[in-house]
Amino acid sequence: MNGRKTFYFKSSILLLLRTRWIGPYLLLPPMLAFMVYAEAYLSAQGVTGIYNLEQRIVLAIWNASLLLTLIAGIKSCLFFSRLWGSFWFRNSLALPASRYSGFWGPFLAALSVATIMYLLTSGAVIAALPEIGRFPWVQVLAELYVPVIWAVSVGALLGLITSGTAGSLFFATLMLLGFLTGMPSLYPSSGWLQVVVPPVGRIMTLSLVFPSGLIQAVILLTHSVIALTLGRLLYSFGIKRR
Amino acid sequence: MAPYISIGGYSDPPRIPHLSLEVNHNELVALVGGAGSGKSNLMKCLAGIRKPVRDSIRIMGAKPGSIASRERSVFVFQNFNYAPDIYLRTQLDQRISLIRGVPSREVKDDVRDWCERMDLLDVCMNYPGKVNLSQLQLFSLAPVFLTSPSVVILDEPFRNVSASSVDAALSLILPALENAAVLALVQKSSPLLEKADRIVTI
Repeated sequence: MNGRKTFYFKSSILLLLRTRWIGPYLLLPPMLAFMVYAEAYLSAQGVTGIYNLEQRIVLAIWNASLLLTLIAGIKSCLFFSRLWGSFWFRNSLALPASRYSGFWGPFLAALSVATIMYLLTSGAVIAALPEIGRFPWVQVLAELYVPVIWAVSVGALLGLITSGTAGSLFFATLMLLGFLTGMPSLYPSSGWLQVVVPPVGRIMTLSLVFPSGLIQAVILLTHSVIALTLGRLLYSFGIKRR
Repeated sequence: MAPYISIGGYSDPPRIPHLSLEVNHNELVALVGGAGSGKSNLMKCLAGIRKPVRDSIRIMGAKPGSIASRERSVFVFQNFNYAPDIYLRTQLDQRISLIRGVPSREVKDDVRDWCERMDLLDVCMNYPGKVNLSQLQLFSLAPVFLTSPSVVILDEPFRNVSASSVDAALSLILPALENAAVLALVQKSSPLLEKADRIVTI
């Protein structure tokens, strides 16, 4: 019947477009400008070892993806926790809307908003570059989009199992841990840590050499699927038990 | 004809040790209980958002929570049903269109007329937090008027309505309830008691 499966998606989009939820994305431009400035400075001093155009392109999109992942993840933890814990949401389960869409609708809404922000930010970064050259930037864009999916998926799981603040702190810690995997000296060449720690940083440093972070992208997507499957199960359990 | 609402052997110890009740078409039953007597828990069980101790409830012959039990039913909760960050008018349009099963553009005129009749047109473009409790309670009753439901379950529906609006709201709500099975969970002072066909005390 009309609107049964889209009720929660539409409601979540309306909520996410409020200043409270869209506002944090306004932090992106100044943070991005700061990072680009700092990296340009370090590069000029010969610290980072990034010289060619391709590396600078990846680094620019890398920055956009990293910052967006951080903001989208924290925002997702806060949003999902507040939404699924609200009286409004619980009472709305009595409406003739699909209850399963109560999980997927808000998730897809948060992912849609984050995706639009990612496209706008990386589009702006690419537009600001002096030349794009013959670089496979579509592949880089696709690869660096995976951390955004991961952030919203993990945010959904954390929003279900804990409060928004605790979830945000946990997410920021997880992100930092994932960021450290980008440093080759800290990243193990094999072993269980490679699979368990989200390779957010690794996917980006690999892209700096060559767009070759496919395995890391698959690991990160697997993390996202696991988070979503767990979240979906907990959601089902929660709505039957309340 | 099977009862529209059937509660058989419901228990929520220690508040409600046992409750069996049937509500038929075109009948208004008032379930009376004091504060903390388990009415709101029963409401949640009827809406399928809480599991009863025994699986003993049927709405239109279906288990609570199933889509069949919800598609022709209206549940009015005590703490309202509206998201704090979406305009009331938008939420009303969404809800009415969802219950009627039509696109929201087809219900806009009806919602507008209803708001006008209830003198709520000025406030319906506000967020719920900007509207007083009495008006919010009237908004929560809107689906009863606008969707011709078969089953209506109300939890303290006039508790927050101001004394001056109760008569007006009652005169509007009663005709809307005529073709439905209505279960009202109320306290002793509720104005609905005078209009009830049956009163059950818990």
